[in-house]
Amino acid sequence: MDPIRQHERRRQAQRRLGAQRRRAGLLRGRVVACSLIVFAFLWGVVFVQMATGNDPVLSAKSRTAGARSSRHKGGNGSEEAASEAGGTTEPEEAESEYAEPEYAEPEYAESEYAEPEYAEPEPAETEYVEPEPVPVETSQS
Amino acid sequence: MSGEAHRAFRCFGGTVTIHLLASDPGEGEALAATAEARLLDAHDRLSRFIEESELSRLNRDPRPEVPVSPLMSSLANAARMAGARSGGLVDATLIGELERAGYRDSLGDREPLPLAEALSRHEARATARPSPARRWSQVQVDEEAGTVTRPPGVRLDGGGIAKGLLADLLAATLRGHRAYAVDCCGDIRVGGSTDKRRRVLVGDPFGGEPIHELRLSEGAAATSGIGRRCWIGQDGRLAHHILDPGSGEPAFTGVVQATAIAPSALLAEVHAKAALLSGPERASEWLPHGGVIVLDGGEVEVVHAERPLPRTVALR
Repeated sequence: MDPIRQHERRRQAQRRLGAQRRRAGLLRGRVVACSLIVFAFLWGVVFVQMATGNDPVLSAKSRTAGARSSRHKGGNGSEEAASEAGGTTEPEEAESEYAEPEYAEPEYAESEYAEPEYAEPEPAETEYVEPEPVPVETSQS
Repeated sequence: MSGEAHRAFRCFGGTVTIHLLASDPGEGEALAATAEARLLDAHDRLSRFIEESELSRLNRDPRPEVPVSPLMSSLANAARMAGARSGGLVDATLIGELERAGYRDSLGDREPLPLAEALSRHEARATARPSPARRWSQVQVDEEAGTVTRPPGVRLDGGGIAKGLLADLLAATLRGHRAYAVDCCGDIRVGGSTDKRRRVLVGDPFGGEPIHELRLSEGAAATSGIGRRCWIGQDGRLAHHILDPGSGEPAFTGVVQATAIAPSALLAEVHAKAALLSGPERASEWLPHGGVIVLDGGEVEVVHAERPLPRTVALR
């Protein structure tokens, strides 16, 4: 083959290869950029949720606590069922009810706190207290 | 509930109470019952109102030296100690004078003359003095031989001295238990291994609520006063059972009641009686471990201890 044409072909091949590499690099950059943006966005969402106190995990737990405490209060069964149903089918309502469990939580805590109070006398029973001697009276003999 | 075994019974012309906290409640009850039996037995032997008591037989005995039981020799020793410690003011040989004043039989539950009324009937006040005869010093005890020596005719009266002595003797048998109190008609001995302080209320000679509260963990308190046994004699004169040894007459010193704290009930009894007989000016001198004095007008004087009670107690 003519050396000049051979050289041109090599240069064309090198250009194509260069163009191919640039496209691949551009694509890689875009993918990385997109990944970073999506990652940052998701983290941003989670951060905002946590920062505002709307932890979905806590939300689910406290809703359970709220339902439990309402049972403690002795409401009738149909009301309990309704509140539980509402809690599971309407997420927005669950979010809005999120404050409720915080109100209810101390009651739940109180009912649990009652146990140590009940258990408290036990150490007092085991500790022996010497009885007070009976008073006597000295009068004229 | 204190958990203490408790006995209360009539003895020595008044009420005796025993409180005992033992490790085992059943043991406490048994010991308290034994203590009651001992005191009743001692009363039968030391009462001058019982014809056949050992004391009555000793007082009647024409011999100068008389064999006696250990209990009687303890009483004779106590009578001698009381005279010596009080400079003769507490004289246990005044039976003749007491009988002349009208105290021949146990007054028992006879209602006494109210103190306020009694005081209004007798206006003169005088400090008591010891008897120059010092008969108490003529009483000798030979513990080894088991005899009491005294001039025939010198008679001993148990009186308050016997109550204090028996409270101490009984307390000696209860020592080692967790808490105890022996109250022989106002002569009180308390103690115990717990060292818990027991409230000792001082009675009101005029019949009201207790006038003061003492607290003792180990020691004794005794009260002497003229209100409990006060009567109008056959001659119409007011009388009571605490005599001025110097005159042989009931003592009106201006002090109507004295309570003494002391290491032993016997010593407390002697101090209380000496304080009452000494009058308002010198009564507090007889209360080195503290006490309470009540005057004619109802004034209450609390005397604080000059020195704390010793832990070991000598009976004489």
